[in-house]
Amino acid sequence: MVVFIIRRTLMMIPVLLGATILCFALVDLSNDPVQDRVFEIEQSTGEPVPQSTIDALEASWYYDRSVPERYWIWLTGLGDTNDDIGLLQGKWGPSIEGSAMDIGTEISSRFWITLRLVLFATIASIGIAILAGVVSAVKQYSRTDYTLTFLGFLFLAMPIFWLGSLFKEGAVQLNKILGSTVFQTYGSGTTGFQGNGWAVFVDSLPYLIVPTLVLMLGGYAAISRYQRASMLEVMNSDYVRLARAKGVRNGTVMRRHALRTALIPVATFAPLALSGAMGGAMVTESIFGWRGLGVYSLDAINAGDTFAVMAYVLISGVVVLIGVLISDILYGVLDPRIRYE
Amino acid sequence: MANISVSTSDKGRATGTKGDTVLAVKDLAVGFPTDDGLVNAVRGVSYELRRGQSLGIVGESGSGKSVTSMAIMGLLPKTAQITGSAKLEGEELLGLGDAELSRIRGKKISMIFQDPLTSLNPVYTVGYQLAEAIRTHYSDISKSEARARCIDLLDSVGIPNPQQRVDAYPHELSGGMRQRVVIAIAMANNPDVIIADEPTTALDVTVQAQVLEALEKAREEVNAALILITHDLGVIAGHTDEVLVMYAGRPVEHGSVDEIFYQPRMPYTLGLIGSLPRMDESRDQRLTPIHGTPPSMLNLAPGCPFRARCPMHQDICAEVEPDLLPINGSGHVAACHFSDQLEGKAPDDVFAPVATDLSVEAEVEAMDAEGAAAADEEDK
Repeated sequence: MVVFIIRRTLMMIPVLLGATILCFALVDLSNDPVQDRVFEIEQSTGEPVPQSTIDALEASWYYDRSVPERYWIWLTGLGDTNDDIGLLQGKWGPSIEGSAMDIGTEISSRFWITLRLVLFATIASIGIAILAGVVSAVKQYSRTDYTLTFLGFLFLAMPIFWLGSLFKEGAVQLNKILGSTVFQTYGSGTTGFQGNGWAVFVDSLPYLIVPTLVLMLGGYAAISRYQRASMLEVMNSDYVRLARAKGVRNGTVMRRHALRTALIPVATFAPLALSGAMGGAMVTESIFGWRGLGVYSLDAINAGDTFAVMAYVLISGVVVLIGVLISDILYGVLDPRIRYE
Repeated sequence: MANISVSTSDKGRATGTKGDTVLAVKDLAVGFPTDDGLVNAVRGVSYELRRGQSLGIVGESGSGKSVTSMAIMGLLPKTAQITGSAKLEGEELLGLGDAELSRIRGKKISMIFQDPLTSLNPVYTVGYQLAEAIRTHYSDISKSEARARCIDLLDSVGIPNPQQRVDAYPHELSGGMRQRVVIAIAMANNPDVIIADEPTTALDVTVQAQVLEALEKAREEVNAALILITHDLGVIAGHTDEVLVMYAGRPVEHGSVDEIFYQPRMPYTLGLIGSLPRMDESRDQRLTPIHGTPPSMLNLAPGCPFRARCPMHQDICAEVEPDLLPINGSGHVAACHFSDQLEGKAPDDVFAPVATDLSVEAEVEAMDAEGAAAADEEDK
């Protein structure tokens, strides 16, 4: 098992390298900040921009190099640089907002805010999905099953921006009725709150509830349908029948033989819900006024801030890769047939 | 394997003597409600099974063989409507709740299923699944004791290297091996009755023989009664004392193996035997097929369900469904109005040995003639 995990982790390295190439190419080729800035200056001054200014812009953003050269510098930071670029050295590259804005600091503070949201939502949605799927399957064609199925499809069909707005409005109304602020619906924590990690976390809880709920409900439906189908299949399988014929009690059969095996197909793709939640976080953060990574990426895309967008895309990629790794390991744990010995 | 019987058989359970009735099934009927109406899968099955006895149940697909046993084991879905009675050592099994059934299943009555490839849970080792069968009923047995017994059991069903195989996952074993593990699970608690539902159907012939041997050994070791469900008449002939022939959810003939094979008194049984290739007859002997298909169990018309395929059918067959009528004093019964007319009849006296396609028939005959001519040439 240890060998299996090490092997899977090592296999991530070339994938990660591929991800950096893809991420760089996608963003770099679709965006030219120098041209944008030149156009902006022309608009405001009404005069042609002198070549010296253009050269300076190009030099500071590394647009005086060829694309492969820029990729190399972005990845390694080796060569003639202003000491603000190079992923391997922990530098994300210059922001077009100027040197006052450091992409690294900005991203690291926002990353934890978004991760808090995404992680809780993903774990909660997987948990609820498994529960709902199993209950649906065990009580197939009952009223409970139909209710859960209806809710699942409802949340699957509702776009997350609408779901988010509805929940926000609902929380505001609820606060009014209760006469106190139970749910915080704007921001990710008390403004200007200072303290250690745990204090910050406790402070953020009331802010976390509603957005997590929205993100969770957006993601759970698909997994729960999957869990229901796989549970139904397993419940009708011969080995579940044999387990009952052995004299194992029904509840134990369901837990030990049916659920255990029915988790395998779900485990293969449930952690990938992380990537879905990352996308959903962009919308959810906007609705609830969080200053998270999703909103940052939106701003960066709007501003054409090449290196900031690259940073976001790469971080999303890494999160998805971690999801894949978790799902691979879970698969190995759950299913002896795919373990490498 | 003396230690096997010592380890669990005498734990608070009286072992009966050979010949006692262990399982008595009476008027068992099973119906499944569907959108089109009630499907009467089993329509009145009665039999008695004595300790040490082996009963074969034959019949084609859909004749209710498996459903009968599943009803006894309480393994049918909740929607099934079950009536009648099935008494194991005097205790009624039908209508028991999950708790009571779980106490009996696997301990007093166990079952072997058809497909060994899917009968074992792929995520647990065979040792775990075998030990589970023991420890479910004897929770005071320690894990190491259970493991030792698992190894004994695997050894007794003919699995080589049981010490290593006990930790194998099902996917690491062949189909025949897996079926032996299932048999080991069935005999784990020395049950009174073992129901084997087509235990060899999914296996090739050489493995079939080994598995049947393991089954036979299991039966002898635990002195259990065996119900062998199959559509392989050869298996029935070699491994059972009594045979129950089922058609359209009902037994149509019941007697000893010799009676069924040598003096069948129901046209269906006769047809089954006639459709078997035989080693003791000449190769040119035609098989006699039973034409047609079994009737739908949904809205079954009154009368004998076999009449549409029966060459002997008369007007009364469409009106009255015959009961199982005694043939002689020995307990041989058959459900046919004209069973006395079948006395001494061979299958091809009743069923015409014709191919359905006459042109094919002609072709085959021409080839036969050619072959005979060639053989004559060679002889010269």
